[in-house]
Amino acid sequence: MQTPRPRYSAAALLRARFSRHFWKPLWNPAKPQDHYDVVIVGAGGHGLSTAYHLARDHGIKRIAIVEKNILGYGNVARNTTIVRSNYLLPENHYFYEDSLRRYEGLSRELNYNVMYSPRGVVDLANSDDEMVALARRGNAMRLAGIDAQLLDRPGLVRFAPELNPYLPRRYPIMGGLVQRRAGTVRHDAVAWGYARAAAALGVDIIERCEVLGLTTQAGVASGVETSLGHIRADRIVFAVAGHTGAIGTMLGIPLPVETHLLQAMVSEPIKPLVGSVLIYMYGHAEVYITQSDRGGLVMGGALDGMPSYTREPAWHRLEEIVQSAVALLPQIAGVKILRHWAGTNDQTMDGSPLIDRLKYDNVFLNGGWCYGGFKAIPASGAACATLVATGTAPDLIRNFRLSRFASGHMIDEKGAGPYPVRQ
Amino acid sequence: MSLFTCPFCGSRNLEEFSFHKTLPNVAGGAFEEIYLRRDAPSHSDEHWQHRYGCRAWLRVQRNPSSGEVFAVELLTGTKP
Ligand SMILES: Cc1cc2nc3c(=O)[nH]c(=O)nc-3n(C[C@H](O)[C@H](O)[C@H](O)COP(=O)(O)OP(=O)(O)OC[C@H]3O[C@@H](n4cnc5c(N)ncnc54)[C@H](O)[C@@H]3O)c2cc1C
Ligand SMILES: [Zn+2]
Repeated sequence: MQTPRPRYSAAALLRARFSRHFWKPLWNPAKPQDHYDVVIVGAGGHGLSTAYHLARDHGIKRIAIVEKNILGYGNVARNTTIVRSNYLLPENHYFYEDSLRRYEGLSRELNYNVMYSPRGVVDLANSDDEMVALARRGNAMRLAGIDAQLLDRPGLVRFAPELNPYLPRRYPIMGGLVQRRAGTVRHDAVAWGYARAAAALGVDIIERCEVLGLTTQAGVASGVETSLGHIRADRIVFAVAGHTGAIGTMLGIPLPVETHLLQAMVSEPIKPLVGSVLIYMYGHAEVYITQSDRGGLVMGGALDGMPSYTREPAWHRLEEIVQSAVALLPQIAGVKILRHWAGTNDQTMDGSPLIDRLKYDNVFLNGGWCYGGFKAIPASGAACATLVATGTAPDLIRNFRLSRFASGHMIDEKGAGPYPVRQ
Repeated sequence: MSLFTCPFCGSRNLEEFSFHKTLPNVAGGAFEEIYLRRDAPSHSDEHWQHRYGCRAWLRVQRNPSSGEVFAVELLTGTKP
């Protein structure tokens, strides 16, 4: 059972100053019970948010999250924290806008500071044609009630003074599309905040417990086989992100997924320079840069480029991303890289998520997050919980079903075709 | 894993090669071929090209959890 936890507030902080007993663990580690209403596999952002919404919105009492490692050590800890809803396709932009709105109020909702920072995300264009494409995307967003603004070069200089768009470059910067409400959110805080809120609602968080298989009875799933023994469950949700492909193998069903690495890197801390999120895609390469509160430049780019479960980032990709960063901001050429790391991504055939039943009527998949699922955590948890609790997918995620590939309703934002490595 | 052995060019730096897609290894027709994958952590069957070399299309079998390369051979039969 969970012990009561203090509510955080300015007054509580003051009280904590005089009490040695104020600070409590955010959640207490649980031991698996014999039977649950819902077992969620994976304590990343999506598993935690799904558990929280199942307990809060649907009053489901006996919920367990089982995690093979420790909570929040997967991609939720490895991403570059960017949240945005600047998508062209309606199947995507309504969903991600719902998520961004939830992020705007998440600190208050969870009573936990997730450090939402609406610093603006700008996609840069290299040519007049790309400006036209960005204008089209911005217009699609505005028609859906999402903020978007097209910037020419003088507009860019005002928005991001560190960027010199007039500098001669092999791939010149003509302008950009900015979403000002987009920005960053502290990734660990999202995992910890949801874990604290879920635990307070009675969810069992079971760490170091790997799901090894599924047991069935009369054509439906009856539980999961784990490294800590069998757990019976009425419903099972797989929210394993980069291990979605492995779950397909475990269940013996092929999925529209390949597993690819994405890496990110951070520089030594420097004085405030980059005030927004800059995204520069050119030719075959790309880079995006933000600056953390600590001063480090956080950078990422394209996928490493071959299927991998290793989480070992490729050196040649690091070099390419850093070169792109210097092309974008020549003044950072002397800055040193401190660390780089990688996460495994479940890259789908159209680059869009998969939230649906999986093989059995009482088994669900919340995955296919590719390299962009951090921003989706609040919306996916709420919508997936509705699917699991009621059996019906809410409109927001109806397009994310697995059958879309057979019926020809791919959500291919990039227009890259069924090649996960290019999505 | 930084080297691949091309059947024509011998041992070459990985950066000369580009990955295209995994082979479905799923029974069925065109739909399965195009959209479905068996994505096992221990074995991956892939189409690559020696793009910045002889440009041959290759079939590569690897362990995506360790990086070990089991075989690199010329792609025959199926189209890339
Ligand atoms: C370098 C990098 C940068 C990124 N940048 C961004 C970004 O800026 N913005 C954005 O929106 N997205 C970004 N992403 C993507 C985002 O991080 C992921 O899409 C998202 O975090 C995945 O969902 P999750 O948090 O639930 O995954 P995870 O945190 O990976 O959770 C899945 C959990 O399942 C567990 N698990 C797996 N198999 C089992 C099993 N058999 N039994 C028990 N537990 C199991 C894993 O251990 C893991 O903890 C980035 C990803 C990477 C790698
Ligand atoms: Zn060759």
